[in-house]
Amino acid sequence: MVSPIRATRRHLLSCLAAIGLAAVLPAAAQAQVELKVGYMKHPIQDASLDMMEKWAKANNVKFTRVPMAYNVFQEKVTATLTTQGDQFDLIWHNDDWGQLWEKWLEPTDDVKGMENVDKWPLDAFWSAEKKMTVVPMVHTVGTFFYRSDLLKPNEVPKTWAELVTVSQKLQKDGKVKWGYVGGMSMNNTWFAQWWTMWTNNCDIFYPLLERNNAKLKAGGFKSALADPCHKEVIEFWWDALHKHKISPEAMTSYGRNEANAIFMAGDAAFTLVDSTHWGEFNDPARSKIVGKVGMAPFPMGPRAKAHTSWNEIWGWGIPKGSPAEKKKLTKQMLAAMLADEEGQITQWKKTGGPPPNVKVWDKIAAQDPVFKQLKHAVFDQKPITHSAYYFAQWPAVHKAYSDASVKALSGKREDIGKVLEEGAPLVTRAATN
Amino acid sequence: MTLSAIDLDHPPKRRLFGERQRFMLLLIAPAAAALAFFQILPIMTGANASFRDWSLHDPQMTWVGFKHYVYVLTDAGFVWTVMPNTIFFMVISVACSLVFGLALALLLNRNFPGRAVVQTILLLPLMVAPVVAAIMIRWMFNDQFGIVNVVLELVGLPGQPWLAQRWTAFSVILFADIWLWTPWFALLLLAGLQSLPREPFEAAAIDGASHWRVFRYLTVPMLRPVMVVCIVIRAIDAFRTFDIVWTISQGGPARSTELFSIYAYIEAFQAMNFARGSAAAMIGAAVIVVLAMIIFRVLNRWAEVSK
Repeated sequence: MVSPIRATRRHLLSCLAAIGLAAVLPAAAQAQVELKVGYMKHPIQDASLDMMEKWAKANNVKFTRVPMAYNVFQEKVTATLTTQGDQFDLIWHNDDWGQLWEKWLEPTDDVKGMENVDKWPLDAFWSAEKKMTVVPMVHTVGTFFYRSDLLKPNEVPKTWAELVTVSQKLQKDGKVKWGYVGGMSMNNTWFAQWWTMWTNNCDIFYPLLERNNAKLKAGGFKSALADPCHKEVIEFWWDALHKHKISPEAMTSYGRNEANAIFMAGDAAFTLVDSTHWGEFNDPARSKIVGKVGMAPFPMGPRAKAHTSWNEIWGWGIPKGSPAEKKKLTKQMLAAMLADEEGQITQWKKTGGPPPNVKVWDKIAAQDPVFKQLKHAVFDQKPITHSAYYFAQWPAVHKAYSDASVKALSGKREDIGKVLEEGAPLVTRAATN
Repeated sequence: MTLSAIDLDHPPKRRLFGERQRFMLLLIAPAAAALAFFQILPIMTGANASFRDWSLHDPQMTWVGFKHYVYVLTDAGFVWTVMPNTIFFMVISVACSLVFGLALALLLNRNFPGRAVVQTILLLPLMVAPVVAAIMIRWMFNDQFGIVNVVLELVGLPGQPWLAQRWTAFSVILFADIWLWTPWFALLLLAGLQSLPREPFEAAAIDGASHWRVFRYLTVPMLRPVMVVCIVIRAIDAFRTFDIVWTISQGGPARSTELFSIYAYIEAFQAMNFARGSAAAMIGAAVIVVLAMIIFRVLNRWAEVSK
């Protein structure tokens, strides 16, 4: 039998041990660093975050996802960055607002694996000190999608003229209601007006295809909206909407949702949108064209001599307001993501998002005919310029351009030139005010 | 207390507020604090921003005087499209909601079987969030999948690209707004109708006055004070409408349905120029203050509320 004194002593010891443990355990819990990611809820971003979470688990790092709606993301994160708060240790970064955040983001040149990413899409993300401010997550490439059950690869239109004739034939044969559908309203200008602008060797400012801000400034940001190459673009779409009727007349009001809905309902033969929508087009719960979608290079306009492409990225940025030790960990985590070949292949398979590490591309192309098709449609074609301009007034320029082009497309054909001439100074004003 | 106990050189300090006033102040303090923090302070911050170089991504906050006001007031789009659109929207929305609301109120003021059910159903739009209603209406008027075009095609009429042209897009926006706000008018006017004295109506019935004459010479004049309050409140609210227009058309096509609140939002949060957006908002606020005063004076005279 244990004596009462010994029992009391044992009891006291166990109490002390419990108190000691209680004191140590929270400390251990506190030692676990938390990394918070601000991002847009999207399958691709989640796939990229899955790779990072894998690293976080292996390295005893608490990984917290803070999803935000696209509509408020830029405003919300901009406000966070400019106040230098530590609300996020990592944020989704996009070429559309690449230059706006350059002074608020940590350089990423020293992230391991950056040597294996495509350099072309990084142009939007250089800081004034010539430091890189992004780590790519996925290539967001404008992709010309066609209905592979209706056309063989060699029948896919290679020029605007063929796009009209092939569309009309499919419509006449009762295969589809529409030839081409794509977003045209503000912020969807890429999916109609702009891809045809680039495929006609045209652009928004003079010098055409220039992205050097100093040269654009020297030229007074003179708008090329009234240039003959531009008039051809708007006339092509006016005819597509009102004369050839290969596209719905209401397309000037469409965003991506409306255009995708028509394409996924099987009512249109062609669309052009980010390749990131591939997964959506092949989702049996949402689409009637599963397994019937092919990819091809953009049809060329009358001034083009070769196919072109649109190849940009979504990426990750590290806010300067994040504490130094967290920045270090975040960089390790991003390096792990870039090195995670298996994770990147999974990202492609699950979402259709082309991975950032170009060394993985050939491996995927060898085993996946879809990626091979995308590679031919986009990565094997040389982009003639970037899909945006990289200065602070760019959103205002985009809006001014969108208003002018939609006004021209909604009016009479003979007024197109006049409307574009009236719109050109407004585009210049948006860039210079 | 004896007189000698009073220190005439140091009279007791008189409190600024009595106990009753202090208690009243205490009661209104939470509301006043909320008003100060969530209304007055943001307005002051916005007013301050409108005189500075204050972009959202690079807030320099340097003083630039009236630069942004000059930009907005010399922007042809603001002067010749946005402001006329805003006033047009306000007038049509308020007028139609008032007419339909009054009609519904008159209907609901009668006794008929199922009146309570009808009353509840008519109030449904008030319970729907404007953004939700606007998304629903945008898809109803979708040219490919919308129910409106399906019905038109069923009766042999061609479907319309509703949101691709100025006036059809404006009609859709107005339809949504009127649908949402008619029950509000109906509810307040019904309350007004039910509070009217019965004697004049009984006298009119004895005199054999027609329904129209009763409505024209009794109901409307007696209801004027309620109508004036409804019109002024709703006009101010309609002037700053944002959610419905943004969801349905984003001010398009080509700015043709852009209202002043959309203009301010685009400048502040799309172009990231917080200062210019604030200047537009300040100008809009000044315009609505003047408009509201004019509307109130005109309607006040009409209704003879001051008597």
